Amino acid sequence: MRPQKKVFQRQKVCRFCSDPEQPTVDYKDVKALRNFVTERGKIIPRRIYGTCATHQRQLCEAIKRARQIALLPYSGSNQR
Amino acid sequence: MRRYETIYILRPTLSEDEINTIIENSSSIIRTGNGQIISVDKWGMRKLAYLIKKESQGFYVYCDYATDPANVAEMERKFRIDDAVMKYMTVKLADTITEEEIEAARGEHEAAKVAAKAAEAAEGDNERDSDDSDSDDSDSDEIDTDTKEDE
Repeated sequence: MRPQKKVFQRQKVCRFCSDPEQPTVDYKDVKALRNFVTERGKIIPRRIYGTCATHQRQLCEAIKRARQIALLPYSGSNQR
Repeated sequence: MRRYETIYILRPTLSEDEINTIIENSSSIIRTGNGQIISVDKWGMRKLAYLIKKESQGFYVYCDYATDPANVAEMERKFRIDDAVMKYMTVKLADTITEEEIEAARGEHEAAKVAAKAAEAAEGDNERDSDDSDSDDSDSDEIDTDTKEDE
């Protein structure tokens, strides 16, 4: 028998699914994107924020585009 | 016609005229190639997240347009040749676009610009109102000798 695992996880709701206004995060919206990136510029994994898979993929693509156009750094907080 | 948006970063040491010349050149490529420009937005000087060609600041220009793919290649080719353009990125927004959608998109951009200006003006007003911090209640240790404890 499988031992009963007590996995208590509070219900995480994806931010974007519950926010009807913004369907996708724009790569030009640096302020919003900064929330999903650590101080050193790394993308925060999905399990921490609770975003759903679709939106995490869109988010990653937006962050990578913003990095390409120097709106976000690739690594390091060498800005400040 | 497909809908694209391009962001290109110009060197910060350029003069106003040179910037306008470059923008005009790239816009004319689209126009002569039977395309439509939906909006051109100059974001201005921004600090770059990392050094590009040893520059730490750049002049961002955002362009939203609808055209054939060949014109995009031509525009990017010109960017590659030009020294003043440090970086460019083109993103395809839609495969096909109709005339009405172009007009609608133009309207959206105009509305966004107006909203941004209004937000800036509002922010300016808010900043002028400074929050006065409440003065702390000072605990007076002095015992009032006047007060008598009456029954």
